Amino acid sequence: MIKLINLTKVYRGLRAVDGINLEIEKGHIFGFLGPNGAGKTTTIKMMAGVLSPTEGQIIINDMDLVKDPSGVKQCVGFIPDRPFVYEKLAGIEFLRFIAGLYHLDHTPLLSHRISELLELFELGQWGEELIESYSHGMKQRLVMCAALLHEPEVLIVDEPMVGLDPKGARLVKNIFKDQAVKGTTVFMSTHSLDVAAEVCDEIAIIQGGHIIARGTASALRRQAGVGGNLEQIFLKLTEGKGLANARPLSSH
Amino acid sequence: MQDLYLLIKPRFLGFRNRMARSDRRTKKRAFVMGGLGLFFCLGLFIVSCRVLIHFQSAEVIGDLLARQLLSMIFLTFFSLLIFSHIITALSNLYISKDLELCHSTPVVLEEVFISRAVYTLMDSSWMLIIFGLPIFMAYAYVYGAGPGFYFTLLHMSLSMAMIAGGIGILITMVLVYVFPAHRTRDIIMLLSVVMLVGLYFLFRFLRPERLVDPDAYFTIMQYMSALKMPQSPYIPTQWISDALWAVLTGKGGEDYLFYIMLTWTTAGAIAVISVWVARAIYFEGLSKSQEAKKRRAGGKRALDLLVELIKKPFGVDLGAIIAKDIRTFFRDNTQWSQLLLLGALVVVYVYNFSVLPLDKSPIRLDFLQNELAFLNMGLAGFVLAAVSARFVFPAVSAEGEAYWIVRSSPLRLKRYLWGKYLFFLAPMLILAEVLIIGTNYMLEVTRFMMFLSSITMFFMVFGILALGIGFGALYPNFKYENIAQVATGFGGVLYMIVSSIFIGAVIVLEAGPVYILFMANLRGNTISLFQWLFIIVSFSAVLVINITAIFKPIKMGLKALREYE
Repeated sequence: MIKLINLTKVYRGLRAVDGINLEIEKGHIFGFLGPNGAGKTTTIKMMAGVLSPTEGQIIINDMDLVKDPSGVKQCVGFIPDRPFVYEKLAGIEFLRFIAGLYHLDHTPLLSHRISELLELFELGQWGEELIESYSHGMKQRLVMCAALLHEPEVLIVDEPMVGLDPKGARLVKNIFKDQAVKGTTVFMSTHSLDVAAEVCDEIAIIQGGHIIARGTASALRRQAGVGGNLEQIFLKLTEGKGLANARPLSSH
Repeated sequence: MQDLYLLIKPRFLGFRNRMARSDRRTKKRAFVMGGLGLFFCLGLFIVSCRVLIHFQSAEVIGDLLARQLLSMIFLTFFSLLIFSHIITALSNLYISKDLELCHSTPVVLEEVFISRAVYTLMDSSWMLIIFGLPIFMAYAYVYGAGPGFYFTLLHMSLSMAMIAGGIGILITMVLVYVFPAHRTRDIIMLLSVVMLVGLYFLFRFLRPERLVDPDAYFTIMQYMSALKMPQSPYIPTQWISDALWAVLTGKGGEDYLFYIMLTWTTAGAIAVISVWVARAIYFEGLSKSQEAKKRRAGGKRALDLLVELIKKPFGVDLGAIIAKDIRTFFRDNTQWSQLLLLGALVVVYVYNFSVLPLDKSPIRLDFLQNELAFLNMGLAGFVLAAVSARFVFPAVSAEGEAYWIVRSSPLRLKRYLWGKYLFFLAPMLILAEVLIIGTNYMLEVTRFMMFLSSITMFFMVFGILALGIGFGALYPNFKYENIAQVATGFGGVLYMIVSSIFIGAVIVLEAGPVYILFMANLRGNTISLFQWLFIIVSFSAVLVINITAIFKPIKMGLKALREYE
């Protein structure tokens, strides 16, 4: 379903992503973890077709993203970490705009789908309001509606829980699980180890542009040689012991 | 005071760091922009010198004209400074992203306000240096000014900026305080544009050119009194120009100190009043402007109808982009209000042709009319390029930080760019033909010139538009605060230069053949084979330039957008 072959991105001499190889099966939720600046967002942006790779291939649904960008994008839904949207459009207008970009005709079926998604993400009452009056969390949920509108086979998500309240976060986790059951592959980067432990079938940890570990939570536990929760595994693998043992500053 | 210094410091540190750490590309851009600025200043200085020397050649009235011009220049700058302060005060006092941080610290409100007022003064007053300095230097050069003039110019300009700044900031604070929350920004932007259009009309319809035409007055006494009449003794610009004139010519020295005291005490008083008013209403206004309220999409039915009508021929995906662009344009007051400026520009452009004193020219009327019609093609082309710089050039940047949506969608970038191009084509063609046919009609040009101008303009629009879209994609700015700023960046300036060269090249290539055809028609001469060859080569070159201007920039823009990171 998703295949990354020797994926590399070089920014002004810096190898932000350095020869990543990954293969993710259909219907899986794949968690992409790593410390700040590890290359998570760069990888995700390349997979969404927003950034071009310096080297390597991104194969989604047996199509090469570089050779057939439109074909790949048609079956991908992308949720970025920051929900930049068109503030002067109403929520419904924004979703119709997205529908147009994905060649969905304006039929009663589309209107129904839009209403359904807005209700699902608890934005039903806000559909006619201009997006500029939405909160950050509402914008984030609207972007998720947009990503699911064309019923993508692959969902690429960058930090999905940022800006969401606990209720919103729960809702999103459930939606991802439902999507996976329906056969959608979810590729998700996150800082939240709890989220990764709860929803992901498989996890990869990236550091310095390299995948340093990959597998299920229990496989990673074995690889790290530590017991306990995902946080300890993560800190061990990324050598973040210093942070883990850090003490608060003493007050004067 | 310590806190005030700290609050102002980040601006200078940021500037220093930008300078010190800029890459080669940024340095190159700064060098090009600096060079262009210097070139502009030099040109303005030369033109100003010529005007003043021309005035001096007229006995008795020469000095009166120069003095009147000086006070008009100060009045214009003063009005523009107030306008500019209203806009930048809104940004610095109410919108800036670091305000939250500043207001959350224990620094007193007045110091935050003063630091923002200083930012506003700096941001708004640079145009006085770029546009004013060459003119004032021309006065100094022509009148052989001493060091006193430069000193007076320096501190009086500062006092004028402080007065205009104080007025602008006070207006902004009151407006934010009075108008409903969340819409304040839009309303202020709209009011400012309306004010600017009003000023523009007022200035143009006063017909300042009549001041240099004594024939427009019944008697010479009437003319002299029109020149001598001060604008108003209560306007600070009058005090400033009188003080400068006194030090420039050595006349009226007894009032010099009085005007200086008057100006500086006014500046000081306005600064103090601003701080008082800020203490009373600034924070409440700031707090109010952050309140988010539900805002329904206004004028929905009319807009939906317009959108449906326009997007039809473009297909589903491009139609979606166009529908979004139209809706955003009409809902954003900072965008649609620019149409008012465009309207004012067109009206004044056409009006200028209606008041041309053609009958006073020593050149044959029919010859002059057609020569002017030819010049008009260049001017109209330039107006179109300016309009395109404001509306077409920012078309790609208009996606803003939501550009990721277009980039991650299946819409091909090539289709996206050409879609934007086609969207602007019809309105630009209509505008071009209205401009050229309207003004040619007023000039009463021959049928041949009318035909040639209309056709030339028609084809030139394709190139001007493609240059706008292409350069807009080549130099996109997705992180703007106000879309109007996009056109004033490096890419916008470069676009204006390249499109001016394009317009100039077309006009120059057509000039020769048109002259041959026009003279043959006028004198009934036959055109030689060599002349026909020259005509064909020239028009073919025009065709080649047009085709290049259409395809090359879009291709370059497409490549740049594909590589944009």
